[in-house]
Amino acid sequence: MLGRLSPQTLRILALLVVLALVLAFFASQVPNYFNARLFNRISSSVAIMALIATAQTLVILTRNIDLSIGSVVGFTAFATGNLVAGSPDIHPLVLVVYAMLVGAGFGLINGVIVAYARVPSIIVTLATMAIFRSALVEYSDAKSITSSQLPQWLVQFPNTSLFEVGGVQFRAAFVTAVIVVLIVHVALNRLRPARRLYAVGSNPEAAEMAGINLRLTVLSAFVMAGALAGLAGFMFLARFGNITVVAGLGFELKSVAAAVVGGVNIFGGSGTVLGALIGAILVDLIDTSLVRWALVSEFWREAVLGALILTAVAVDAILMRRLIRMRIAREKERLASMPQKEAAE
Amino acid sequence: MTHFAKLGLAATLMMGTATAALAEAHAMTLEGGMETNMVLLPKFLGILVFDQANEGAQEAHAELGNPGELLFVGPTPENSVAGQIEIMTTAATQGQGAVMLSNNAGDQIAPSAEAAQAAGVQVVTWDSPIPSGAGESVFVAQVDFGSIGVVMADMAHSILGGSGQMAVLSATPDAANQNAWIAAMEEALAGDAKYADIELVDVVYGDDQAEVSYNRALALVDSHPDLGLIMSPTTVGIQAAAKAMQDEGLCDQVKVSGLGLPSEMVSYTMNGCAPEFALWDFRDLGYLTYYTAYGLATGQLTGDMGETFTAGRMGAYTIEEDPGRPGSKRILMGPFTVYTADNVEAAAQ
Repeated sequence: MLGRLSPQTLRILALLVVLALVLAFFASQVPNYFNARLFNRISSSVAIMALIATAQTLVILTRNIDLSIGSVVGFTAFATGNLVAGSPDIHPLVLVVYAMLVGAGFGLINGVIVAYARVPSIIVTLATMAIFRSALVEYSDAKSITSSQLPQWLVQFPNTSLFEVGGVQFRAAFVTAVIVVLIVHVALNRLRPARRLYAVGSNPEAAEMAGINLRLTVLSAFVMAGALAGLAGFMFLARFGNITVVAGLGFELKSVAAAVVGGVNIFGGSGTVLGALIGAILVDLIDTSLVRWALVSEFWREAVLGALILTAVAVDAILMRRLIRMRIAREKERLASMPQKEAAE
Repeated sequence: MTHFAKLGLAATLMMGTATAALAEAHAMTLEGGMETNMVLLPKFLGILVFDQANEGAQEAHAELGNPGELLFVGPTPENSVAGQIEIMTTAATQGQGAVMLSNNAGDQIAPSAEAAQAAGVQVVTWDSPIPSGAGESVFVAQVDFGSIGVVMADMAHSILGGSGQMAVLSATPDAANQNAWIAAMEEALAGDAKYADIELVDVVYGDDQAEVSYNRALALVDSHPDLGLIMSPTTVGIQAAAKAMQDEGLCDQVKVSGLGLPSEMVSYTMNGCAPEFALWDFRDLGYLTYYTAYGLATGQLTGDMGETFTAGRMGAYTIEEDPGRPGSKRILMGPFTVYTADNVEAAAQ
């Protein structure tokens, strides 16, 4: 049965196994661990990271990286907060579109320099990470956005429980994030223009020969990532209310971690946003659980988190290899057992 | 006071008056109008309290009529440690009169601060000192670090009604000021029998980031089912913790307290999530720091222990030994304000 699944599906199954192992491990270590509250905590917290991991995945698929993503989240969170604080009656949809446009604008800057000036993305976005952050420092004028400046609907949105099953709440922010991830996932699998991201990432020369516009594809990956980061900025604003210039600091590395743990190949061309979502959940789960694990002191937590991420990736890789080998063996068996006539055809 | 008494001994014998009276009599008035270029260097740019400190420094700059320049430069948030060291090094090569530093780089900044001093630059720290005191001319302390511990213990006592579990949500694990305050609070809790029933169960770090602090606050509640109070000695942490408790409907069970900005905390104080918190005035801190740095940079102050001077509208201050860092010098500003539902709205304006 496993043999018939696509490598993508196998990878996601492997990730789910790892997720279950991590859960089982902490449940055995931390009293009162496995309950509905844990789900509510992780799902609320992962809503933002899921969007950022998805954005990062789009860029990584094209053999690039976006290190400015944390600065974009911070800037859009502040700018969106500033807009709604000034005009509280603004329509929610307009506000969301505004956040996404601001984010897409930053993505456009990255994309143009990477795709058309041909500067490696790691250099470009390392620079724009600092530039966008400085722009935020300048723009904010050392003021903070506080939740008292925000309209009630915005503050209440992330934690509104849409439906509840035995204490497990499906909250608006989490559900929104999952829907967005699913839309991107389906688009990447079914839409021809979206498939180009994979083509460009796995073999740029071949993609070009096939008539794919490389530059435009890379540019659109950055713009879409920017728009998703903008949406994440909106969610960040709604969830935390208090926005200062440090908002989103360090998200670039967390997003790369989530994507890579989620099986997205750092060299481009393969991976799924569904994997990145599970990767985000895994990283968040480990991070949160480590705080509750009395055995690990604060100073070692970062190191243990790093080690666990490595382990997760390694276990995932080993499981994947096992499954693929099993599949190849089964395939051979199938071929061998086929009647000679059919094989000859 | 003992340090002061020792240093004032000669004067006491001469004039035959009490040392306390001497402090007032000998407070030096700084002469304005002397030219010196100075740099105010916050932990990083874009945070309200540091801008308030700059306002205070600018006020003193204008008042003293210094024809030189007062620059407000700092690193961006993601580059705080390296950026502070770089600005300190640059200030030394530029031959600035003084650098006023809120240190975020621990002892890592000491070599460049010592180099700056060797180049004739006065290094006056404020808000957060250089832990070892190396490379530092004097530290302008916002409040006595020991008394912050007592105030936090008292707020915990009042909120918990005398008994219960509390946990600390701090900034970064290597923040010199927060670590000193937590240690002072632990000392206060252990030192007085009235705190006997208050148990400090955990210390976690939110890295002064909203999302990390928010998640840490919730993790504290999950790990300690009987937790009654989260004490956060950082403006980012206290706000994030209060928001987390409010979002999860936990305010009745777990209160939040610590050091916070009235403008950010007003709604949480009014709805009971954070009934009490404290802070000092950052404008005054910037003002006093400027007077100190100006006095040192223009050579009017020598920076020796026991030296007393008048800092404009704020009155007389004396350079003394820092009780928390033996061998280092400090000027103590104090006091600070405890905010409750009664006064927070006025302060938030």
